[in-house]
Amino acid sequence: MATSLIALFLGVFFGFSLNKAGLTKYNKIVNVFRFTDMAVLQFMMTALVVSMSGLYILRGFGLITFPNIPGTYIVGNLVGGLIFGVGMALTGY
Amino acid sequence: MKFILNYIRKETWSPYVAGILLGLVGILAVWLSDSLLGASGAFENLAGMLGQAVAPQAFDNVYFNFIMPPGFTYGVILAIGIFFGGMIGAASSKTLKWGKKDAANSDPLWKRTFGPQVWKRWVLAFFGAIILEYAAGIAGGCTSGLAISGGMLLAPAAFLFIAGMFASGIVTALIIYRKRY
Repeated sequence: MATSLIALFLGVFFGFSLNKAGLTKYNKIVNVFRFTDMAVLQFMMTALVVSMSGLYILRGFGLITFPNIPGTYIVGNLVGGLIFGVGMALTGY
Repeated sequence: MKFILNYIRKETWSPYVAGILLGLVGILAVWLSDSLLGASGAFENLAGMLGQAVAPQAFDNVYFNFIMPPGFTYGVILAIGIFFGGMIGAASSKTLKWGKKDAANSDPLWKRTFGPQVWKRWVLAFFGAIILEYAAGIAGGCTSGLAISGGMLLAPAAFLFIAGMFASGIVTALIIYRKRY
């Protein structure tokens, strides 16, 4: 129950930040592939840098342990990414 | 205080501010519940649940038994939260289009590119989403589940995925927009 509430709470803030960054709009997503609006990259990379440094600092203090890190399957990850990009540019989601 | 409230009501934030918010959410997800953010897995969990009810034999495979167990998982609840979070975000800037006439197809760029018909938006969204979900299944996550959540743990898979995503996204956009690229 507690984890469900946490999931819901985190999800709300996740959705909120996506909306406020404009990632719920088709033009934002497709324009990053046209190099006319870099909001998606700015948003993604900021999130990455903040959480990356936060997580490694917290682990340094021994406050958290990392969950399972997504496995590396070079072909799978690359092919998946290649197909994913097509869908992303088409639908803008 | 007033400044903050006014900022929350803005339709689009600086992507850096929104990115910091998502970064904090990512940290909290690991800290509070020892799990990663992700959106695509939820649909696979639900599809697995549906599939096992309709055609148990077809869904009795390695993928649904071990990699993406069906059920009402953490990811599903997270996805519900994302839906309402997005709605709250839109409502806070009074851009929520729920029930409005052009709700399904309101993006000006989309209309210019593919036409104003609403059914086209639905059809392309449907088939595009199949591509997205299928690709996320192959790669092991979507933009949030693999690229951001994996990236923040410095997983090599995330960076391979991002490279692939941008390479084919740029090519697809080139094909769609040709001269207007």
